[in-house]
Amino acid sequence: MKPITTWLQNRADDVGVIMLSVMFLAFVIQITARYVFNYPLGWTLELCLTMWLWTVFWGASFSLRNEEHVRFDMLYWHVSPKTRRWLAGVAALVIIAVMIAALPRTFDFVTFLKIKKSGTLRIPLMYIFSIYLIFMVATIAIYARGLLRVIRGEPLEGEAPLVNGVKGNAA
Amino acid sequence: MSLAFGACLATLFLLAAIGMPIAHAIIAAAVVYLAMVGQDLGLAGEQIIYGLYDSFVLLAVPLFIVAANIMNAGSISERLLSFCVGVVGRFKGGLGHVNIVSSLIFSGMSGSAVADAAGIGKVIIQMMTRDGRYSPGYAAAITAASATIGPVIPPSIPMVIYALVSDTSIGFLFLGGILPGLLMGLMLMIMNIYLSHKRGFEADAVVPIRELPALTVKAFPALLMPVILMWGIYGGVTTSTEAAAVAAAYALILAAVFYRTLSVASLRAIMLESVKSSASVGLVIGGALILNYIVASENIPTLLAEVLQSLSVTPLVFLLGVNLLLLLLGCILDATTIILVIIPLFLQACRAMGIDLVHFGVVAVINCMIGLITPPYGILLFVINGTTGIKLADMIREIWPFLFALLAALLVLILVPEIVLWLPMQFGYVPASL
Repeated sequence: MKPITTWLQNRADDVGVIMLSVMFLAFVIQITARYVFNYPLGWTLELCLTMWLWTVFWGASFSLRNEEHVRFDMLYWHVSPKTRRWLAGVAALVIIAVMIAALPRTFDFVTFLKIKKSGTLRIPLMYIFSIYLIFMVATIAIYARGLLRVIRGEPLEGEAPLVNGVKGNAA
Repeated sequence: MSLAFGACLATLFLLAAIGMPIAHAIIAAAVVYLAMVGQDLGLAGEQIIYGLYDSFVLLAVPLFIVAANIMNAGSISERLLSFCVGVVGRFKGGLGHVNIVSSLIFSGMSGSAVADAAGIGKVIIQMMTRDGRYSPGYAAAITAASATIGPVIPPSIPMVIYALVSDTSIGFLFLGGILPGLLMGLMLMIMNIYLSHKRGFEADAVVPIRELPALTVKAFPALLMPVILMWGIYGGVTTSTEAAAVAAAYALILAAVFYRTLSVASLRAIMLESVKSSASVGLVIGGALILNYIVASENIPTLLAEVLQSLSVTPLVFLLGVNLLLLLLGCILDATTIILVIIPLFLQACRAMGIDLVHFGVVAVINCMIGLITPPYGILLFVINGTTGIKLADMIREIWPFLFALLAALLVLILVPEIVLWLPMQFGYVPASL
């Protein structure tokens, strides 16, 4: 990877790490306030839920590599490299088409929530939910890059699998 | 079942089969469905967002992930292990027992089988294979098998997910897992004793009794973790989500302050690993929520319940049938996916037949955990292969007797619901059956 992309990747990872850490800290503050000081807080819970939502979609957009997703890849790694390129190409085309089709209405749904504010912090839900739009655009971009690799005949992401793509699974 | 739903399933299975991440495949299938029935395409996103944003319960998932990763990175796992070597290492098949007992204790602290196998499992495999007393395949197989207990004894990420789809109490589910988890451990130990005698494994070096107090003191703060969790949840002090945060905070304090094994760089690595796990699981959960919405609007669970009733299937035959199906699916599918997508289909039928949902949930979770070690798609086997380099074929050759022991435990639990339900009932749970 080029230095600039490595740097960007590290910063994207940093943001995810900060989001999850904030969520964790907010929860600890909430518990301390409630059980130690007997002074329940409202904003901490909302911050936790917001950070959880953002961690999931930020992580899925910028930190998770394809092989770190939960996926059923036995077939994918057992076919010939040529067939695999076809499979990757078809998958990319379908997901790009579907995401583009759903994007306008999802955009409407999110921007409509400009008028609705969150429970305690009074932040318009539009901003909180906008991460899903970012996720959709990022997903389109990720698969578009994959499609480009297929067309140009470059090696696919994760080719020569390391640990069968099972990292990042929590169950 | 409508044509649109058929197309939805076809899209899902095709995309998932050709290797697309399950979550992406579900979202794509959902959009195809919405387009065919002429509903708003934005509904998919709406369901996913609200599903994740509105669920307080789900916050336990990332918190338990963080807790497990911190425990593995600090020396908490190793201290527990030395303690177990001291206590049960003296018996025949010693390190095999150490493996199982440390899994039992660790499962009372972590809710993830993968974390168990990757952390404590890796260390004990090194110990078992060091002097060539145990073959790598045997060490890996017993580690994988005992790691399945992790999410059965509370805390448990899969049970949190089951509680989400089934509306059962996490507290009672957690309690229901304790005795079954111990039973699984017992079965594995019996199998280990049998195999040790049959193959004539040499006894391991015995730790002198006088060293035990020191080992106990070193492990004591870690041993307190399950106690704190149980006290928090069942003393009515905290909710299970809060207990998850307490567990993570306690692990952090132990690793950073008591054992002083945590640097800033390693903390970042732990959190990044947790971000990735949270994202991949969270995305599948979000996808499953929209899929379950579709399945519910197609009335599939009710239809399934009616069909089963018209066939006059008895509850026992139903339970055995569902478990057989889950085991088969477990060979090829991921546990999270099964719990989120397949199990909700049967909940309606369970209610109609008077099968208790805590009993069903615990049995189903155990079944899915056994699915983690069934070849060809057994995540625990892959993880151990990834962390130790032991060949998959060697592990699979040795896994069968342990798989048999776990299946025997599963059968007992299906036939005797009381083992699951007794403990929850002591805490005031009123089961549907019995």
